[in-house]
Amino acid sequence: MTLLRPPVEAGGVTAHDPNAPMTRHSTWFLAAALAAPFAAAPARAADPFNEVAEKANQKMVKVFGAGGFSRLNSYGTGIIISPDGHVLTAASQLLDTSELVVHLYDGQRLKAQVLAVEPELDVAIIKIRVEGKKIEEPTGLNLDYFDFAAAAKRPPAETGDWVLALTNTFEIALRDEPLSLQRGVVMARTKLAGRRGVFEFPYTGDVYVVDAITNNPGAAGGALLTRKGELIGVVGREIKNSLSDTWMNYAIPVNAKVDIKEVVKTKDKDGKEKDEEKVTTVTMPDFVALGMQGKYKNVTRPKTVLGEGGYHGIVFVPNILDRTPAYVEDVVPGSPAAKAGLRPDDLVSFIDGEPVASINVFQTWLKKNTRPGQVVRIEVRRGEALQTIEMTLGVPPKAATPTPAPMPK
Amino acid sequence: MLRYLTRPVLAAAVPAALAATVALTVAAPIELDKSVVEAQAQRVAAIKKVAPAVVAVCMQGGQGVGSGVVISPDGYALTNFHVVQPTGPLMQAGLADGVLYDAVLVGTDKVGDVSLIKLMPKEKGKPFPFVALGDSDKVKIGDWSLAMGNPFSLAMDFTPTVTYGVVSGTNRYQPPEGKGLLEYTDCIQIETSINPGNSGGPLFNMQGELIGINGRGSFEKRGRVNSGVGYAISINQIKNFLGHMRAGIDTDHATLGAAVGTAAEDAPLSQMVVKQILDGSDAERRGLAEGDQLVSFAGRPVTSTNQYKNILGIFPKEWRVPVSVRRNNERRETLIRLMGNMATEKETPDKKDGPAPPAPKIVPKKGPAGSGETAKMYVPKKGYANWYFNELERDKLIGEFKKHGDFAADTGTWAGEGRYEMGERKGDFRFEVSEVKDGDPLVKLKLNIESTLAPLKDTDRRLQSEPIGSGGLMLALYQWHRLLTTGAKGFEGLFAHGGTEPFYPYPADGSAPKSLAALRVDADVLKTKHGSTECKWFFSTKDHQLVGFETFTDKDYEDPCEVFLSDYKPVDGKQLPHRIEVRFKDKRYAVLTVAKYTLGKK
Repeated sequence: MTLLRPPVEAGGVTAHDPNAPMTRHSTWFLAAALAAPFAAAPARAADPFNEVAEKANQKMVKVFGAGGFSRLNSYGTGIIISPDGHVLTAASQLLDTSELVVHLYDGQRLKAQVLAVEPELDVAIIKIRVEGKKIEEPTGLNLDYFDFAAAAKRPPAETGDWVLALTNTFEIALRDEPLSLQRGVVMARTKLAGRRGVFEFPYTGDVYVVDAITNNPGAAGGALLTRKGELIGVVGREIKNSLSDTWMNYAIPVNAKVDIKEVVKTKDKDGKEKDEEKVTTVTMPDFVALGMQGKYKNVTRPKTVLGEGGYHGIVFVPNILDRTPAYVEDVVPGSPAAKAGLRPDDLVSFIDGEPVASINVFQTWLKKNTRPGQVVRIEVRRGEALQTIEMTLGVPPKAATPTPAPMPK
Repeated sequence: MLRYLTRPVLAAAVPAALAATVALTVAAPIELDKSVVEAQAQRVAAIKKVAPAVVAVCMQGGQGVGSGVVISPDGYALTNFHVVQPTGPLMQAGLADGVLYDAVLVGTDKVGDVSLIKLMPKEKGKPFPFVALGDSDKVKIGDWSLAMGNPFSLAMDFTPTVTYGVVSGTNRYQPPEGKGLLEYTDCIQIETSINPGNSGGPLFNMQGELIGINGRGSFEKRGRVNSGVGYAISINQIKNFLGHMRAGIDTDHATLGAAVGTAAEDAPLSQMVVKQILDGSDAERRGLAEGDQLVSFAGRPVTSTNQYKNILGIFPKEWRVPVSVRRNNERRETLIRLMGNMATEKETPDKKDGPAPPAPKIVPKKGPAGSGETAKMYVPKKGYANWYFNELERDKLIGEFKKHGDFAADTGTWAGEGRYEMGERKGDFRFEVSEVKDGDPLVKLKLNIESTLAPLKDTDRRLQSEPIGSGGLMLALYQWHRLLTTGAKGFEGLFAHGGTEPFYPYPADGSAPKSLAALRVDADVLKTKHGSTECKWFFSTKDHQLVGFETFTDKDYEDPCEVFLSDYKPVDGKQLPHRIEVRFKDKRYAVLTVAKYTLGKK
């Protein structure tokens, strides 16, 4: 496959690449590659990556947000995707603050605000804010940026292709200091059998697995690039492979795609309401295009208002404030929450993609949008990890087991 | 067991594989692009060139503790301070030739985590393979690099392990680990794999030039093995300390003597401003004030805290560096003497009462036989990593200086006369220094007025600073005379090599220099103390001629009298300066043009 592509294609390694590892291709591959036309692969300079790194670094930001306790880092990386200051980054706990800050390559420190989060893709879009301007207004920043739509249209990277990663790993860079550069090879484009803690990783689509140690603290939201500096992926978080118990190094491709099953209400021939399972495809290009306009709707959000509210069985901490965080104090044994594996000290952060700022928000949303039997997707922060839990809501206990009235004698 | 099992399999597989290869090769011969072959050949050649100089640093007896690299044919090698910490001053060092050599600690930079050791050849005078020092300021993000050393002490025959990767970042700052030591400033960040045991080993560019010393990595959840983020101390920083380390000094890094920080942490653009000035610091005397914006430091722009720490961190204490500040839209550049960094900077006077502090437990580890020769090369002394090498370098320096003229026989009264220039004033001058045996030496100076000083008797600082405005010219002339005539034995308080420092002679025509950095001359330093007076003597590294000296009447609180010597001409076949410029507190005091010297014999 690799050999069929022209030698200068999308950062791929070809037979005439002076920096190519000599042993990676089999003899057969190399021999066969000779049959391909020897299109001019320009002789590469002694330092092929410096220019690429320097240019790409100007299209990146350092992100600073929530964290800084119990091994949750308060720093990350972001990719500028519009001249106006839209930034693509990882959907981490970092964004769970009103004090989000970015540092540009030239040392400018600016505020930022979350526009859209898609847990299914594990990415988010934030927008840089300029003092005195509303979030909808143009910032007038005119930043250098990655054209995301164009990046998503390029053919995906192949196994064996050389890649560069640009991240703020370990928060080494502040202000105008350049991000850290790493180089490696795409080992596979595959589904991830990953885990955070013991739970499945929220993102179920394909990832690029790379052989460089890219996924360190703070690297999430960084750019995976071809050796020509073209964006091909968003560096993911720190997760362990549940099969081998090793740390994974991966990035979510720019053209990532996930199929999501959701239950929707439809009416059958007789006009009777019924539940129907519908598969919706969530794609990164759609998310980015709509998210930048502020028009993105999280797919798992039910379209119809169902009223009532389903039963969960979560006992929250005492709700003493207007904005008491949705910390789980306990779960009722045998309840949907217990079955789903929620635990005391979990912090409910998102429900069906909606940020949960407080217990009140959670309760209101649940009452308005759910009903018994519905499946909701909850993101909880447990220890240092953000985990996705699916919970099938039940019937409130009283209604479920109505005590029959004693027979009159 | 495994071996026996796998052998027959291998035996069968190999011919088959060979046959397949041969068949394919015949069908379509592999023709690699020339640049591929060249790149590989260059890499192989670079590794081959430098591998013999890579050191496996060992405890006495051969147990590996880290890595190092030989940088001169006489066996001087660089490593990390934290590598030689467990070995003590005597260690052993294995080279790629498989031989374990005896080695001794020469000098140390604890803050910078660098130590210099010296390997002893098995045959006297036999040169060691060594590597050339590169220029780490030229290293760029994305450059290829080679790390070499002995990770996990894998190689029992000391053949170095080579790893290959790109530079992830330059001018990185990594804060100190414990008590202000092991601070990595202006360092090189690499993804090139370095692991435990690589510490102290070399980082090369693809030309095989030494660009750094590997010593540290960022580790967290993945454990203390390579996690894609390693750090090497830049060789350009090490070059600043190399003169000190060669002279056996336990060197220290510097502080400005003023606290510098961002004007406002959350400002859109960060500005570095002076927040606080230390009393008695040179920064205070040079007129730095709170609120001044720090524009550049040692020629580099300062825009962030990390950058400031980076630049400050590459200099030894007492170095003078040009500092540029802005105040009310006015920019000003001045030379500032940096202060020491370590808490031990000022000696605390001995306490007569109270419990005695526990004696430091630095017991040189006695090794097995064979260490006798190197053991003689270790002399402990406070403030020095190894006093033996200070004496060695000091005597070498004095020996070189004496080639310009040996004044050992001219211990009588010296006189110099000629014309002086003090601003607009001009006239004749004459000075006379007499060293009276068993009596008090006397200095007479006639500039525009006549003055005298008995340098050992007149210990009052006001007297010593005369003539007023010179900072102590008579005292300086007395010390100079003493250095030239008596040498080491004339300085009972101190007579030590002070490493290397930049020296800044001002333009002869008295004009303001365009840039202070352009004035810089590299100099070997000699530090002396006689009576209560400390002096610093600067010898040009190029030819070891004395280009100037500083005389301190009070080292902690007052500026020295600075004397700049030039226009050397022979007097009785010995070189003496015929232009003497005297400066004090950023100002020129006088220029003496000597017409005639009279050197009295005993």
